[in-house]
Amino acid sequence: MKKHSFGSLLFIGLVLLVMYLPIAVVIVYSFNANTARIPIDFTGWTTDWYAKLFEGRSGFGDALLLSVRVALWAVVISCVIGTLGAIGMARRVDGKSSRLDTAMESLMSLPIMIPEIILGLAFMVVFNAMGIRGNDLRLVLAHVTFCIPYVFLNVKSRLVGMDPALFDAARDLGASPARVVRDITLPLCRPAIMSGAFLALAMSLDDFVISFFVYGAGEGTLPIKIYSSVKVGVSPQVNALCTLIMGVVFIAVALSRYLSSMRAARQRRLERQIRAA
Amino acid sequence: MKRLVALILCALMALPALSLAEEEKVLNILSWEGYVDGDTLAAFEEETGIDVIWSPMDSIDSMLLKVTEGGGADYDLIISSDYSLDILRKQGLIQKLDMSKLSNYGNLDPAFLSQSYDPDNEYVIPYMAGCPLIIYDPERVSFEITGYEDLWNPELADSVAVLENARVLCGITLKTMGKSMNETDPDVLAEMKEKLMPLYPNIRTFGDLESYSAVTTGEASVGFMFTPFVYMVQLDHPEFEVVYPKEGLGYGIDGLVIPTGAKHVDAAHQFLDYLMRPEVAANNAEKQYYMCVNEAAREYLSDAYREASVMNVPAELLKDAEFILDVGATETTYQEIYTAFKNQ
Repeated sequence: MKKHSFGSLLFIGLVLLVMYLPIAVVIVYSFNANTARIPIDFTGWTTDWYAKLFEGRSGFGDALLLSVRVALWAVVISCVIGTLGAIGMARRVDGKSSRLDTAMESLMSLPIMIPEIILGLAFMVVFNAMGIRGNDLRLVLAHVTFCIPYVFLNVKSRLVGMDPALFDAARDLGASPARVVRDITLPLCRPAIMSGAFLALAMSLDDFVISFFVYGAGEGTLPIKIYSSVKVGVSPQVNALCTLIMGVVFIAVALSRYLSSMRAARQRRLERQIRAA
Repeated sequence: MKRLVALILCALMALPALSLAEEEKVLNILSWEGYVDGDTLAAFEEETGIDVIWSPMDSIDSMLLKVTEGGGADYDLIISSDYSLDILRKQGLIQKLDMSKLSNYGNLDPAFLSQSYDPDNEYVIPYMAGCPLIIYDPERVSFEITGYEDLWNPELADSVAVLENARVLCGITLKTMGKSMNETDPDVLAEMKEKLMPLYPNIRTFGDLESYSAVTTGEASVGFMFTPFVYMVQLDHPEFEVVYPKEGLGYGIDGLVIPTGAKHVDAAHQFLDYLMRPEVAANNAEKQYYMCVNEAAREYLSDAYREASVMNVPAELLKDAEFILDVGATETTYQEIYTAFKNQ
């Protein structure tokens, strides 16, 4: 193991401090008993803010659930559409791309190029004109639109790097086109679909501008509710909420690391056994 | 694959069902999150059986966009600021109130009625009012502050905490020149810019929360802030001096209006009447840290609130206090001047 000099350790320590101190403050303040409208001092420990999250109208829990519900629907639907679109566009065996293809591709990534406020306004006008009133439906439709490009572009770049001989071989061995997609294309695309899905999930949870214009009457999504609190003062509940979200993300990442290291270890063991035999 | 298709079909069927579940006794309010506190809303729901749905808005500009584009049909009440109510009224987006349903209207303080956005008191019920004021620690400031002009005093280098608002900061600069806060003459604005620029070395922090915490912790000795933040400093430090600037006050009133397309007009009136009850109005003012616009509510206010000078701006000063108005295209000039000021 290489030994680190004192200087480099100090530097790393400082960088980590700057990066993580704000997060640590959020976590500590989520337990702050100070009930002033703008709490500055830390006056004692409490778990009240966590209990308040799901307490009726002033709780942020409902807004969080709405955000998560919309994000999950948007991700699932945009994954299906984005992946199918990418596979469909890449399946042109002759390797030629018509002008229509190029146009389609640009169209697919348009939603992330247009300024959010314009997209939001456009959705509002269209939904109002079409009489689509349900909040959930409006939010999901809008979110699907800007989530698709993340999945589409990810999967498409993955497909471009793939050896077309794989698909030809499968066809040659008698697999139907649907079976090729199911057994060859989709498994190979899985990492790209997953990373696209996570990007889309983050974008959907984070979106504020489009959601604000799209949702009609009723509880807004989490970002809307937090932004809207500026007038009266953001409740310390938000600290508790952030801590919970960070906790969930931390556990999920740790779990996936653990699982993949387990898989790698099993692989190594297997390889050793094969070599020994 | 089949399961996935089934799942999507279920989703499509379930989605409209989620949102069609709407009852008759409903009140849709669009405003800042928490601007009427949850307990008050719950008490109103309890008493009337009306279900209040609060739609949070994030800024006045996007509220205006949303209501003008959508016609406001989604909402039965909007709580917003003076100039935006004027815009809504001029575009015919809000409706006249039915005074016969507002038995508590007489409780309102006339000082807050008949304003420029609603001269004949037909459209707007005032909810909260405030004036940005100066507050300072007399122990640490060697002279008496009497007006905006004193903020430029070289003795206050790096010790003034101010709110973050282009129009208000440009506005008080115009006031020191004896001009209106809503000046549109380019020459006057150019002159104002020259005046504003040298204020920068005196500014310690910008922003509401930042200024409050700077003044209350002693990081800054002078603050120029909106009503709730001055009040919070006053609660922490009763010995601090609050100044009604001699050049004249800025002013803001938030009011309630009913959009033209509202579907639950009766419920909206019921809620307006409820908010004008003396004890409810007193409780709201205390919770929101703004001036109470309800005269009958005075006896229900706490002593701390009643004694705070920030909540008791004399009526004769309010009469000449100036609203920030919509200045149309000149707004850009204000923003440019302010950006130049901040980027020194």
